[in-house]
Amino acid sequence: MQPDPTQPQASPALPAAAPWQPLPRRGAALYAGGLALALAPSLGLPAGLVAGPLLGTARLPSLAAGVAVAMLLGLALGLLRHRRIGWKLDATGFATRRGGLWRTETLVPVPRVQHLDLERGPLERRLGLATLVVHTAGTRMAAVRLPLLDLADAEALRSRLARQADLDDAL
Amino acid sequence: MEHRLHPWSWLFVLVQQLRQFVVPLAALVFAGQRSSDDGGWALWGPLIGVGVLVVVSILQYFTYRYRIGEDAIQVRSGLFQRNQRQIPFTRIHNVALHQSLLHRLFKVAEVRLEAAGGNKPEAQMRVLGLDQALALEQLLRHHGEAPQAPTGATTGAGEALPAPAQEQLLALDTAEVVRLGLVSNRGMLVVAAGVGVLFQAFPEKAAVGMIQRFFHEAVGYAGHLDLGWLGMASATLALLGLAVFVLRLLSVALALAQYHGFRLVCTGGRLLVERGLLARARSSVSPRRIQAWFLQETLLHRWLGRRSLRIDTATGGGDNDPRKLRELAPIATPQHCDQLIARLLPGSQWPPPGWQPLPRGGAAVRLFARTLPWLALAGLALAWQFGPWAGLVLLWLPLSAYASWRQAGRLGYALDERLVAVRGGWWSRWWRFAEVDKLQALGLHRSPLDRCLGTATVWLDTAGASALWPPLRVRYLPQDQARALVEELARMLARRRQVW
Repeated sequence: MQPDPTQPQASPALPAAAPWQPLPRRGAALYAGGLALALAPSLGLPAGLVAGPLLGTARLPSLAAGVAVAMLLGLALGLLRHRRIGWKLDATGFATRRGGLWRTETLVPVPRVQHLDLERGPLERRLGLATLVVHTAGTRMAAVRLPLLDLADAEALRSRLARQADLDDAL
Repeated sequence: MEHRLHPWSWLFVLVQQLRQFVVPLAALVFAGQRSSDDGGWALWGPLIGVGVLVVVSILQYFTYRYRIGEDAIQVRSGLFQRNQRQIPFTRIHNVALHQSLLHRLFKVAEVRLEAAGGNKPEAQMRVLGLDQALALEQLLRHHGEAPQAPTGATTGAGEALPAPAQEQLLALDTAEVVRLGLVSNRGMLVVAAGVGVLFQAFPEKAAVGMIQRFFHEAVGYAGHLDLGWLGMASATLALLGLAVFVLRLLSVALALAQYHGFRLVCTGGRLLVERGLLARARSSVSPRRIQAWFLQETLLHRWLGRRSLRIDTATGGGDNDPRKLRELAPIATPQHCDQLIARLLPGSQWPPPGWQPLPRGGAAVRLFARTLPWLALAGLALAWQFGPWAGLVLLWLPLSAYASWRQAGRLGYALDERLVAVRGGWWSRWWRFAEVDKLQALGLHRSPLDRCLGTATVWLDTAGASALWPPLRVRYLPQDQARALVEELARMLARRRQVW
């Protein structure tokens, strides 16, 4: 007989403590590329505009140089930051950490998870990755995002957290 | 049976719509009168616009109906696109009644039903007759608080509900409201808003020109007086003093208009707040919907021997929405505030028996270091204008160091089974606390400076936290202490279910 999908299933208890899991490496290029594309117009163009008259070079080469330097900076920064992103799920809750210079860790206790979103852009779909968004009722940490997560991991996390929330409500 | 809005509601909808358009319409009418070649169109255009608005308002009145069911209220509205909305009673967090002077003339009130989250109210009835509105409020409160009432006791529209016991927790007389005006900054905000409207109503060049002409005339007049620098200094000080006095007077007037007759009442398990002189507002909230608390004692509060107690609730709406219940005690003595908190948080201890202090030296250095960039900027700006006199800015440094030292002495946090609290500020003291059950997420942040010095900041997130108040966070905590705090809170939260 098939188990009723609407009834909460008993699930194995969460481990008391778990190590930080890193993101899959294949997402690093996507993350770095995204950061480079974001920095190029916002940082590179103003820097190029300012540096041109200062260094006495023509406008177009200095703009191009500014944009190129910003893109390289974005790529390097993106690769570094991607390595630092991590997550873990244990008895205390779902935790993510990120950041190179400014390090932040966010912990959402399992009873406080409101709902979960799985977002997949076209590039993420090709690489078999997904972005998991955990929504809480808070204000600053209302949506905790974990980008470029392995699809199997993301779906397992989503079903695990949703099931745990169901179990808690049923008690 | 289906209820409809009050017959005069079309007027209030019209007034509401006109308020948005009054400045451009006035500009159009006045500007239109000057040019005579297309005077006809400029005169008829606004009138046609007003006519269209009147028709839309009347249509909105005709299509709005509501019905009170067993456990939900049904609202139907819309002419072309019909909307039907069902709002369960238990979802209604707050029933707010608002009466401006015009509403009081007609004995009507605007009713808003608010649920958790979202910026717009679930249902907005503009307007209902006053007794109808009060009856609706009482009905919703009755149903919302007693969902397990026996189903045989369904009330029809005509049955009278048992009047719940009322307990008055706080009432502000006129003297207290005047103190509230003296303590607050409302006057400055209104003047700033007035300047904004000035720039909006008149073309920018004209407004700037007016202000420049005013200052030129004032300076020219002062130059004629031939006072010498001591006279000039004392004259400017006197003018500043006059400006502050006028602003405070304006604050007092605004406080009287908004808070006259303030009453905080506990009725049937809900908190009800009524206030206002010309425009009356009533809003209520259940004590268990309170997410976080903010107790404030600025320097002015301390001089008058008062504090103010404010709350965060999870209902939506902007920070400046006057219908949102934000202030439990706009101004009250410290003992009264403590009594209120003890009454509304039974089982918790307030003030906490022991505050955990932070390492004083490190915190003082960090607080002092935060003011340095601003001082440098101010120094640069002054040096650009006044040359070497900018060195006077350095006089601020010892004052800032002393203030940082005293402030670091007051920083601290307290955690027990029910409550987590943070306190800070020396000049202007504040306490920010919440029940542990109401925490939604925890954060641990380390800036580069934190990593150098081995400290961390613990962020505690609650629902509906106001952006205007100090957030619920513990800064400059040694790293291992911070992690221990986060882990302890996480353990406590993992055991407890969410209780709305």
